[in-house]
Amino acid sequence: MKQTSMKKMLALFLVAAMMLAAFTACTEKAPDTVSSPQVTAEQNVSTPDKKQETDNAASEEPVTINFWHHYSAQSAENETLMNVLIPKFEEENPGYKVNAVSHEWADLHDKILISASSNTLPDVARLDIAWVPEFQKMKILVPLDQQMSDFDAVASQLLPSAMSTGMIKGSCYALALNTNTKILFYNADALKAANIEVPKTMDEMYAAIKALSGTNEKGQQVWGLNEPALAGWNVLPYIWSNGGNITDEDCTTASGYINSPETVAAVQKLVDMYANGEFTGFNSGDIPMTDGFGTGRYMMLLEGPWKTAELAGAYPDFNYGMSEVPAGSAGSISVLGGEDIAMFNTANKEGAWKFMKFMTSEFAQEEMAKCGQIPVNTTALDSDTVKNADYAPFLKAITTAKARPTVASWSEIDNALTVAMTDMIVNGADVQSTLDTLAGTIDALLAE
Amino acid sequence: MLGVHKKARPSNVLRYALLLIGGAISILPMVYMISTSLRPNGALYEFPPKFFPELSEITFENYVYIFSQEKFYINFLNSVVVSILTVLIAAFVSTALAFCLARFQFPGRRLLFGLVIGTMIIPGTTLIITQYQLATFFKITNKLLGLIPFYVAWVIPFSTFMIKGYIESIPREFDEAVYTDGGSVFTVFFKIICPLASPAIASVSIFNFLTAWEEFTWALTVLNDTQKRTLPIAISGFFGQHQFTQWGYVFAMSVASLVPVLIIFICCQKYFVSGLQTGGIKG
Amino acid sequence: MELRSKRNRLQVGSLLLPGVLFFALFTIYPIVKLLYMSFLKWDLGSMVNHSFVGLTNYLDVITDETFRISFANTLIYTLVTVPGQMILGLVAAVLINEIPHFRVTFRVIYYIPVITSWVIASLIFRYIFNTEGMLNYLLTNVLHLTSTNIRWLDGRWGGLTVAMMLGIWKGVGWNLVVFLAALQSVPQELYESASMDGCNGIKKFFYITLPSIKSTILFALVMLTIGGFNVFTSIKMITGGKPMHQTETVLTWMYYKAFNTGEFGYAAALSFIVAVTLVFLAILQFKAMKQKDEANS
Repeated sequence: MKQTSMKKMLALFLVAAMMLAAFTACTEKAPDTVSSPQVTAEQNVSTPDKKQETDNAASEEPVTINFWHHYSAQSAENETLMNVLIPKFEEENPGYKVNAVSHEWADLHDKILISASSNTLPDVARLDIAWVPEFQKMKILVPLDQQMSDFDAVASQLLPSAMSTGMIKGSCYALALNTNTKILFYNADALKAANIEVPKTMDEMYAAIKALSGTNEKGQQVWGLNEPALAGWNVLPYIWSNGGNITDEDCTTASGYINSPETVAAVQKLVDMYANGEFTGFNSGDIPMTDGFGTGRYMMLLEGPWKTAELAGAYPDFNYGMSEVPAGSAGSISVLGGEDIAMFNTANKEGAWKFMKFMTSEFAQEEMAKCGQIPVNTTALDSDTVKNADYAPFLKAITTAKARPTVASWSEIDNALTVAMTDMIVNGADVQSTLDTLAGTIDALLAE
Repeated sequence: MLGVHKKARPSNVLRYALLLIGGAISILPMVYMISTSLRPNGALYEFPPKFFPELSEITFENYVYIFSQEKFYINFLNSVVVSILTVLIAAFVSTALAFCLARFQFPGRRLLFGLVIGTMIIPGTTLIITQYQLATFFKITNKLLGLIPFYVAWVIPFSTFMIKGYIESIPREFDEAVYTDGGSVFTVFFKIICPLASPAIASVSIFNFLTAWEEFTWALTVLNDTQKRTLPIAISGFFGQHQFTQWGYVFAMSVASLVPVLIIFICCQKYFVSGLQTGGIKG
Repeated sequence: MELRSKRNRLQVGSLLLPGVLFFALFTIYPIVKLLYMSFLKWDLGSMVNHSFVGLTNYLDVITDETFRISFANTLIYTLVTVPGQMILGLVAAVLINEIPHFRVTFRVIYYIPVITSWVIASLIFRYIFNTEGMLNYLLTNVLHLTSTNIRWLDGRWGGLTVAMMLGIWKGVGWNLVVFLAALQSVPQELYESASMDGCNGIKKFFYITLPSIKSTILFALVMLTIGGFNVFTSIKMITGGKPMHQTETVLTWMYYKAFNTGEFGYAAALSFIVAVTLVFLAILQFKAMKQKDEANS
């Protein structure tokens, strides 16, 4: 008994010592890492600020503006935000300090819900335009046109079509921040090898998808078309271009639109392509979009301007082309995307508004334009940066693109739409009857 | 001890064969992870896939990238601080609780023990909504301090349950001797119970360390700032569901985060297993 | 023992205090608050003012098709992974207990999945089970067992199967360690007398080993059932509940409802239903454990 307990004691002592060592090591290191010479983006920002803090210590504490966004942490946009924009803003507005926090796109939506439930919202956030109505319904957004005296002057500098995404029931709850849409990306080498022209119409695209699908020389399956999900953002260009729709213009009813013959035909096409092994990407086990496209497994996809930077980083040698969404019977109609910038009602309104004005200013918009964000500031849109950018093809598509319905229940409608699309495409449920049911569901959601 | 006198017989060959197969299944995924972390990111979707990279192909670029990110060190440090504080606080709190439950009669004792058992059963995730509101009330969201008390609260029931079982196996005569010599409850607790129950305390501490080290959901919910995130959140941040996943980075970071756990485990494995046993089962 | 002196009573009180405080504040209070929330209308439209709606949230949960699917998934997961890891763990423990060398080595190897975090393990499994992943390559191109890639992660059953395989893979080591210790405490004399009576190995296992470690088996059963209902991270990372919420478990569905659609009242009611189910299951198992213990002694 004695001996074994001695051993146990010794072992316990070892664990404790190890943990203690690790612990003291980290408490010692903590300040060390912060002041280490390897300065990262975050610290670049905080260092000049700290100086200011000590300089102005007598006058007043700097006000921190918490800004949440979903520029991805590894992206050029985030670099610009952290190293160019925020330092500039803080320099121009002494007394303010911006704490920018990056979230995954889906996490940001959830985070805002969580925070709203407990009053811990940030001051300002960059919001997907599709979320604005939902957050407005939660009464957490500030009606800018009612509370900001210089709102009209600010708004007049921004694209009216983009600004409309923040308009709900006659009030404006957000400033447009950047806009985007999707266009056709295609594997240029594969099209050339198969002697196929870049498709200009939906029929040509469907023919090309059929021709390009099959197996490659290694015996691996190749799909003509990829969509990474089956939400409205993914399926609407096919539906709209074919003359279909989700709801009427005023977003009051879905019956007769989501189950119209045009919508049914467009969806049926997707169903058939999936069944024929020509279309995939939304299943959990599928190759991720960029990887599949870059390695020649997906031949075509509709994607946004960020894809060029992603491909350049991950597959620099890959030869691809871009073209507008092929025209269907109703024309070439892509889906309008983009982000707004909004302040929450718990914000420090003066600082938040200053930051929002800064982010939509010509300077900030042009800097962001350099890394693939299409500006909404009209002066920045006319700049040479924009005219010479890789995303020039997108600018034309934006003029014909349509926005998803701006209704508070859009998130729920989108969920119902995704479930129905999966049921039809993956499980082969009957298209007409599924869309009839979906029309009823959406009608009920619109009526709420 | 069983088996000591046995010689290598044919049936042992079968036993070893079966154990080797099981062992292979246990570690192959890890081996695959390490081998993937040593390959360039672009080579991941090549055909045919290779289990082991060719020697010429082996690259440390993923590790170089991860280790060149200061964020990694911050995240690592966050995980270390949170895990160790959780372990230390939980060890003291649950040993004290277990000691009182095992040795004394006091009003509400049965209720308290019932609650300990009861909360051991309720999944921590079900309480996430109200615990989040609580964290907000204390203004500890987006702080490492927002993790520790909740982790401690989660591990207390199991730790208390295990340590209590172990303490009950310590003969009461030891306590009595101290009391007879005029010692107090504190004397018994610090001089007798804590040292003698150390194997059980250490073994639950290792479990608690693992729990805190790998906890994902609560940390994802409470923390916002990149500099406050713990390792699991940082790792999952590299994993993009549909666009593209830099598996090389994901796995390099995973390997790096497994190293401390492995070290602790290999250093202490011999005895923590026995400590867990004696106490837990009979409790 | 009784506490005669005031000093000792104070000291016991001060030892109890931190534990009770932690408990009351961070566990008991959230449970009570959760119960309260589950009777309120608390969703996107009513984030600030909540009206009392009685059992509406509970009715919504019970009549919700996806909840039923998620509950069934959780039950299936528990029913498969708990016996799965117990049996494999017990077999491995018996084997290790009978070999002369490398016992520690095997124990360490089998334990490695246990100490691998759920996030990492889920990512590895997702990578291996991708439709274009290593496993399908082995099955189709090397072993030629199937001609087309199996779509492991895409459907309800495939996704659940992968999650269950992960659960078993990760859990065997813990069972092994628990059972190995129990096996080593079985008195050797029992086996010797059984050998004299002419019992073979298998008979010995069923008539001596199993009854002797009954309490350990029940302990593992209770702990693993709780663990089974806790399945969350693996589903979130492997399928994310897709397709069409077919692979949701109770906790992933609760999380989705609370933090994705903002239906906090619904989520609170769901949480409570899960908690009550588990407490009920555990009481059953504890009762069984007690009965067996009494029967044993």
